[in-house]
Amino acid sequence: MKLRIIAILTIIALLVTPMFARGDRLTIAGSTTVLPIAQAAAEAYMNSHPEMNISVRGGGSSVGIASVMAGNVDIGDASRKAKTKEIATARENGIDLYCNIVANDGIAIVVNPSNPVKNLTIDQLQSIYTGNVQNWKELGGPNKPIVLVSRDVSSGTFEVFNKLVLQGSTQDAGALMLASNNAVATTISNTPGAIGYVGLGYLSDNIKAVTVNNVKATKQTIQDKSYPISRTLHMYTNGAPKGNAKKFIDYILSPEGQKIVEEQGFVSVR
Amino acid sequence: MRKLILIFLLVAAISTIANAETKLKMELWNRWTYAMEDGDVTENEMALKRGYLRLEPVFSGNIKGRFNLDFFSDDGALDGVGMKLKYAYLDFSNFVPIKDSKLTVGLMKTYFGTIYDWSYQTIAKDPADKYKFVSSTDYGLGVSGYLPNGYGTYAVAAYNGEGYKKTGGDLNLDMNYLANLRVYVMPGVTFGGSYMKKTKNTDDLIEKEVFLDNEGTAIDTVIFNDREEYSLMSGMAKLAFGPLKITGQYLLKDISYLQENENDGNYFDEDGDSYKEEDCTQTVVSIMPQFKLNNKIDFIARYDMNDPNTDVDDDGDSTILLGMNYHILRDSKNKPKLFVQANYEMTTPEADDEDEESALMVQLRWIFSEKINAK
Repeated sequence: MKLRIIAILTIIALLVTPMFARGDRLTIAGSTTVLPIAQAAAEAYMNSHPEMNISVRGGGSSVGIASVMAGNVDIGDASRKAKTKEIATARENGIDLYCNIVANDGIAIVVNPSNPVKNLTIDQLQSIYTGNVQNWKELGGPNKPIVLVSRDVSSGTFEVFNKLVLQGSTQDAGALMLASNNAVATTISNTPGAIGYVGLGYLSDNIKAVTVNNVKATKQTIQDKSYPISRTLHMYTNGAPKGNAKKFIDYILSPEGQKIVEEQGFVSVR
Repeated sequence: MRKLILIFLLVAAISTIANAETKLKMELWNRWTYAMEDGDVTENEMALKRGYLRLEPVFSGNIKGRFNLDFFSDDGALDGVGMKLKYAYLDFSNFVPIKDSKLTVGLMKTYFGTIYDWSYQTIAKDPADKYKFVSSTDYGLGVSGYLPNGYGTYAVAAYNGEGYKKTGGDLNLDMNYLANLRVYVMPGVTFGGSYMKKTKNTDDLIEKEVFLDNEGTAIDTVIFNDREEYSLMSGMAKLAFGPLKITGQYLLKDISYLQENENDGNYFDEDGDSYKEEDCTQTVVSIMPQFKLNNKIDFIARYDMNDPNTDVDDDGDSTILLGMNYHILRDSKNKPKLFVQANYEMTTPEADDEDEESALMVQLRWIFSEKINAK
């Protein structure tokens, strides 16, 4: 009998222990745009706080917000703001989605470096992505078909692009839907007629950013909002951050953390 | 024949949406049921209690649809499988100039009580469904959406009032109207209420009555036009703090039977009495606590008290349910993909001469979904 009681108590303890035994752990998941900031900041923070164990993974903004709602992570990264539906569902389930803005970003419109086109307007981008313009010669470029590259629908980058550029229009069915900023950048660099969009942190010499409405995506134009496809980047927590989550977010918002934000190619919030 | 028509509809729907981004989802419930009544085994079976194939095409950023074909084991069907069309609607976002609202048209959810977001945490149905207050879906048109900043949800709708099973010849002549509001007062505290006005006024409720004198000669003929008026109400509260959730719901159904004498247009005779049978009121109270032990295991209990007619003694029953859900797989958004539900349910009638019923149910639910033509 005693043995049975001990066995039952052991099973209960094994089941319940993971709920409380978090220690100096911090889990982060979500947007692939915010991922480089979270990874670099986590690395730097763990260097100065060796007792901390920070796990960072991607998955997309929707996954980041859903993971906070499910209580599976401490911080959910998102490159878009939480939707009303997500906020409502969270509130109903006792979760207060708290938005911590950690960086500014612009979505850069990128083409292959061999493409001579230097500027596109929002209207032209809308025509391109809805399939109404299908050849670069209609935009003053070479006689070459446009290869549309876009992001998957669960991506916050797609949501922001959809809202600011497509503005309710339907994207052309032929667009390549890629799962990460890196995948978009690689495809653009390898495809002469391609056009795509990536977070500012993913710009490199292998792809060319065009100006939008004759405004270049720079730190200044993003901070003063004159660049038309700019946004804020977020880390969501359940309520105002506490404990390890607060320490980590405070670190990202500190001058040292914001330096990491800039090093990753994004724009600081200060 | 009916199944062939449904399959044809399905194929037509797939063909229509072939160029639209479409979410394909399938869910299957394999259940073992062991039921007893007064100590005797009444059921010991394994069956597919429910399965559905769902298509959700996205025609544009503002227009999307849902088509749901349910199927289940059915002894009455020749090949042992029953089918029903459960959803067939289109959502038009931003059609109504209210932020975060949508217009829905077709065979759509009934936004009453908790039936429209019931996710079968227990194997048992939602209380409003189980005690026949409303059907879970119905043909209609409605506007629903979110209150500013996610402080709640609302819905107003007009329905046929017959549920998903009836259209055409059996159709009620009157439309039914519904209003629903749910407010999230603070994170974890929800209050909600629904009201539905429902009438039944069909051709088969028209009666002809011939009055005879003592010698059997007809002296008067009166046509009575029967009407049944239903007032359905639901009040719900939900508390969610950490791993604990408690949902409580009170349901009330008032039925008024009216019989109109078409000769004078009155519903009452000279003495002021109704021509028809007495009105009745049904009430149901349901309380459901849930405890999420961890990401794998939930414990659930539920207590229902049903009084079908508040004017009649000992005609109701109460049901206690204890259950556990064991989640084997979840998707990237933590939604269940594969899990086992085990429920023990005991129903005790108020009347002493009626027998207690109990059932043990173990159910394997598996869900998969994929996006086609994702944009």
